[in-house]
Amino acid sequence: MFKKADNNALWAIGLSLVLFFIGGIITTVVPPLVDTSWSKPFENHDPAKGVTGKLVPLNEQQKKGRAIYVREGCWYCHTQQIRTLLADTKRYGWRGVDAPISTPDEFVYDDPHMFGTKRTGPDLARVGGKYDTQWHRTHFRNPRDLVKGSIMPAYPWIVNNPEEFNALVAYLQNLGRSKDWRPANDYEK
Amino acid sequence: MPATDYTYPSVYFAYLFFFLSFLLAVYFFIRSRKDGYWEDKGEDVKFQVFQDDDNTRRTP
Amino acid sequence: MQPQFSKAEAANAPTGAIIHDDATAKWFLVSSVAYFFIVGIIAVIIAAKFVWPDLMGTMSWLTYGRLRPLHVNGMLFGWLLAADMGLAYYVIPRLCGVKLWSEKLGLATAALWNVIILGAVVTLLAGLNQGWEYAELPWYLDILVVVAWIMFGINIFMTVANRKYQAMYVTIWYIMGCILWTAFVYLTGNFATLFTTGTNQANLNWMYVHNAVGLIFTPIGLAIAYYFIPRASSTPLHSHKLSMVGFWSLAFVYVWTGAHHMLHGPISQWLQTISIAFSLMLLIPVWAVVYNLFATMKGQWHQLRESVPLKFLMSGVVFYLLTCFQGPMHSLRTVNAIVSKTDWIPGHAHMAVLGCFSFFAIAGTYYAVPRIWNKALHSDSLANWSYWMLMIGGLGFFTTLWLGGFWQGWQWNNVSIPFIDTVIALKPIWIVRFVSGLMMFTGIVLFAYNILATALGNPEEAAV
Repeated sequence: MFKKADNNALWAIGLSLVLFFIGGIITTVVPPLVDTSWSKPFENHDPAKGVTGKLVPLNEQQKKGRAIYVREGCWYCHTQQIRTLLADTKRYGWRGVDAPISTPDEFVYDDPHMFGTKRTGPDLARVGGKYDTQWHRTHFRNPRDLVKGSIMPAYPWIVNNPEEFNALVAYLQNLGRSKDWRPANDYEK
Repeated sequence: MPATDYTYPSVYFAYLFFFLSFLLAVYFFIRSRKDGYWEDKGEDVKFQVFQDDDNTRRTP
Repeated sequence: MQPQFSKAEAANAPTGAIIHDDATAKWFLVSSVAYFFIVGIIAVIIAAKFVWPDLMGTMSWLTYGRLRPLHVNGMLFGWLLAADMGLAYYVIPRLCGVKLWSEKLGLATAALWNVIILGAVVTLLAGLNQGWEYAELPWYLDILVVVAWIMFGINIFMTVANRKYQAMYVTIWYIMGCILWTAFVYLTGNFATLFTTGTNQANLNWMYVHNAVGLIFTPIGLAIAYYFIPRASSTPLHSHKLSMVGFWSLAFVYVWTGAHHMLHGPISQWLQTISIAFSLMLLIPVWAVVYNLFATMKGQWHQLRESVPLKFLMSGVVFYLLTCFQGPMHSLRTVNAIVSKTDWIPGHAHMAVLGCFSFFAIAGTYYAVPRIWNKALHSDSLANWSYWMLMIGGLGFFTTLWLGGFWQGWQWNNVSIPFIDTVIALKPIWIVRFVSGLMMFTGIVLFAYNILATALGNPEEAAV
């Protein structure tokens, strides 16, 4: 067997592919089949079972905003996941309410996914409804006007294009809202 | 038995996996003896790196 | 592209002598070195943007979000993978004792590769970003990458099929493994993701991202180390048997670990646990390889003083050991809760891709280029300078980012510290990162200049 893999290229190729596919299939094809929460949109109307809410697909404007978020590479510095860590739920909560942990069923319509790997800026999974449109306008024009010490780039070409700006804000305001986690503490109310 | 960190199915999977890995390691060791990897000529392949010197002259 | 032998010399060569053409290797190496330099400029700009966020900030195509994918893709595919492919075109024919199967096909591959990289520059700066890390390139460029990879694979496999020696040296397995695994990993990350959404897509994406390093750059990088360390030190490899342990355990273990990018995140716990267990098992292939390469140098370490390729190679092995110790450790849930998503991650990623695999590729280039062009290296002292610049700059970069990462992680875990204060606290780290980035860039410039001056220089300048 060893000798064959050593002397016969086809054997070596075959064996290395077989070994690769064992792990490859178990970790990519099997998980979505086993864990159905990956593909079932979040819906809960019973407060006894935890936070309520319903995941609905984005509307056209929000989709447009999402495309801008992808295009500008926002996701390189902002993650979109409240992890199962106390620090995450506390830090990204709002006015005393802890942010609910992100679950796979909240992201069923996400394409491309925007989970991200790096938090140069804060997490945005629950940013929806925290800041109003004027705040975002000022912040995108120059983040340092609002947050001293911020290293986020300025995006004047988005602010100066009302269509793009409104779309992007519409997308941001929808983030994390499928779980109705702070009904009484919204800036809009 | 109450559920603890040590009774998750994945833990038993890990035990099974380590056991299988151990069996495979033993099997491959015996197999490598059979295939002659522990004999005098078992390490000849590594000298192939230098074969090129014998049949190629780059510098005139 | 002229053969370096006069007719009389060729006639006098020993019977059966092979005169390698190396045209493909030449084109791949020269273009990759050029991209190393060009993308290096972008790297320095990105590092500067962390310190001066308003730098060049009013042009959409020069913002961080546009330059970062260009930096990542340019370095991974423009420099590193192209250099690795060039070295494979150099190594495989020599190890097989035959000429490359088709130089014409090889040259076509090199041309296509350059088209892809130039396409990547245009599309990424225009913001045509698919939104997946390492897979930012639009689908039409992805298809070209697949075509180029098939052309590369055919050429290498046909050369291996025609080989003169029956037994295959470890370098050949690694390059064959790399070609096959890459094919499937790349298809998963760039095409299978098109048909999925959400967590499922993220899982495929991380499988690709992790294995882009683990099953593309690791095998081809180790293939280069396994060939050039014995060659550059004229010392046979320590053990053929041990190299088999390293290769076959790598083939089995690596692919399972993708989900460790989502630890604590919205993905099944059992999948996280599997990825952690297999991340720890990565220590097996890594230590098998590292021991083998260190043991090869036993009693030969003094050679490092004289040889720049060996300096790069052995430092690369040390960085490989460190990277692959960090990897399993920060995939543990407790460590991950501190370092995940912090600046530790770029520190770790740069040590793998720059400290280890780029060092291997640089060493291979330093070793192969003078032999391909049959000229002495333009300047040994510049080569030494390039090593020390990259080494010291790299160390400054890695260590400050690790420290900064831990610092940042601890601050994040203390929720009484506002987020912006954790950003301001990292400013000194980013200044050091920029300065070390400048040093590394100097090293790249010296390396690129030295290689191009060797390639373009007068043959009469050959001193040896």
